[in-house]
Amino acid sequence: MSDDRIAELSGVTRTYGGVAVLEDVSFDVRPGVTAVIGPNGSGKSTLLGVLSGAVEPTDGHSRYVGPDASRPIGYLPQRVPFREEFTASETLAFYVRLAAVDATSPEDVADPEEALERVGLADAADRRVGALSGGMRRLLGIAQATVGDPPLVVLDEPASGLDPGTRERAFRTAADASGTDTAVVVSSHDLELVDEHADRVVLLDRGRVVAAGPLDRLCSERGVDDVSGLYRAIVAGDAAEDDGGDGRDGGEPTAVHVTGVSE
Amino acid sequence: MDAVGGTGRPGVMGGLGAVRGRVLVVATVFRRELATVLRTPGYGALAVGLLAVLGGVVAVGGGAATGFVPTVVDLLLVTEVVVPLVAFVIGYRALLTDAETGELAVIRTYPVSVAGYVVGIVLARGLAFLAIVVVPYATIGVAVWATAAPDTTIFATHSGIDSPLLYLRFLGLLVPFGAAYLSLATAVSAVASSRRGAVAVGVLVLVVAVLGGDLAILRSLATGTAPSTVPGLLPLTPNGAFRGLVFEGVVGVAFAPEGGFVDVGRAVGSLLVWTLGGVAVSSATLAYGDRLEVLLEGARARTAE
Repeated sequence: MSDDRIAELSGVTRTYGGVAVLEDVSFDVRPGVTAVIGPNGSGKSTLLGVLSGAVEPTDGHSRYVGPDASRPIGYLPQRVPFREEFTASETLAFYVRLAAVDATSPEDVADPEEALERVGLADAADRRVGALSGGMRRLLGIAQATVGDPPLVVLDEPASGLDPGTRERAFRTAADASGTDTAVVVSSHDLELVDEHADRVVLLDRGRVVAAGPLDRLCSERGVDDVSGLYRAIVAGDAAEDDGGDGRDGGEPTAVHVTGVSE
Repeated sequence: MDAVGGTGRPGVMGGLGAVRGRVLVVATVFRRELATVLRTPGYGALAVGLLAVLGGVVAVGGGAATGFVPTVVDLLLVTEVVVPLVAFVIGYRALLTDAETGELAVIRTYPVSVAGYVVGIVLARGLAFLAIVVVPYATIGVAVWATAAPDTTIFATHSGIDSPLLYLRFLGLLVPFGAAYLSLATAVSAVASSRRGAVAVGVLVLVVAVLGGDLAILRSLATGTAPSTVPGLLPLTPNGAFRGLVFEGVVGVAFAPEGGFVDVGRAVGSLLVWTLGGVAVSSATLAYGDRLEVLLEGARARTAE
């Protein structure tokens, strides 16, 4: 794995109505799969929004520092937003055309059908977005996020609400988009899939980064076997400390809920 | 203007390539927006409804049996209400749809300029507006041609004669008038944060724009402003400009060729400014709206401390 940075967040804070959803968040995004995990309302979606440029931080900055590209960042929000009256193929064709405005040769232009095939949606190409299942929409969203081969792909809960098979497929497709010069940042509650696919982890709790780095290193530092153990050791441990208890009631982390912001 | 996303995209093109890129963005957004409009059955119903309203007005007014200019006189008042209304129906969600669903955040990650995105949407909605408004008006014109007195088929070469060319001129004036309101509606769709908010702001803007100008002029006359200033003041609102141009170029031709109803240059300029102003407000809102929100958040945080 290369150590070249693709993006950096420095002192990022974001408030809504005076309530801090992210506080002083700093970390670098490097090639490979980075999973952002944390309890509901911990600021994962806001963090991914800041990283993608969709959300303006109230303080600090997020910068893309990766290789030159006409589309440096690909983004899939938590709620797949495509217009329902268009087919999957038409939807992707729109984004392919947008990505191709800087193209200098036909080889630089992606093929929408090929992109659909890559996520296993070739058979649903002519189906309207409104008629696609939730899983298919997410796969379409992942295909869109990778149009133009952006060096940084940001996916907010790509596996949320899907059956186990589709969840695995969605995560694997996302992981396949990463490479030596490409980073995929993905948020998820599915710690098993994170364990299986992530190279790095950013653990958020109440808007703050409580752990960040290579998954193996974090696990060995905390003396745990996997992401679930890491999550329990850090987030649940914090909750127990806050409660002043002995940790036995700290299995479910507390969450900050901000209307319209929290998942 | 910067790329929408502000993600630090390096400038990879210049000169002709950049122009080509901008045109491609506008064309791509235009195509998608037009396809969306074509797949919305409500707009067809809107055109049919407009035709029914115009047909009813002309039938009640009786102008259609007499000629084109009397028809324009019958339609003028209702046009000043229905054209802005139709423009708002077509435009009030133009930019809101993508912002509301979150698709704008996705589009922002592509090399798309704010101006290119807004222009693509406004052009597509403008074409839809033309189809929805001009076709019913043209249909009324054809009906007048077919049913009115024989001398309406004579093409005017001098003033005082009713002519289909005068009706065509009226149709032509509908375009900048509608464009001004469509652009305003698009600006409302950019500023509003929800569909309900867009309707509320849209109704407010409509009432102020349609009635406000005339009421302000009446008030200024009542407070001692000289009547000679009216031709200069009238075109400041889209309605005043449109009405003035219709009197100057259509109705007045038949009975007052010397004109003087309105300052024509100012009227044309006014409609242009309203149109470009709406596009500018839309673009500025999309480009700087988030930053403004952040500034307000900062101010709120400082106040709370």
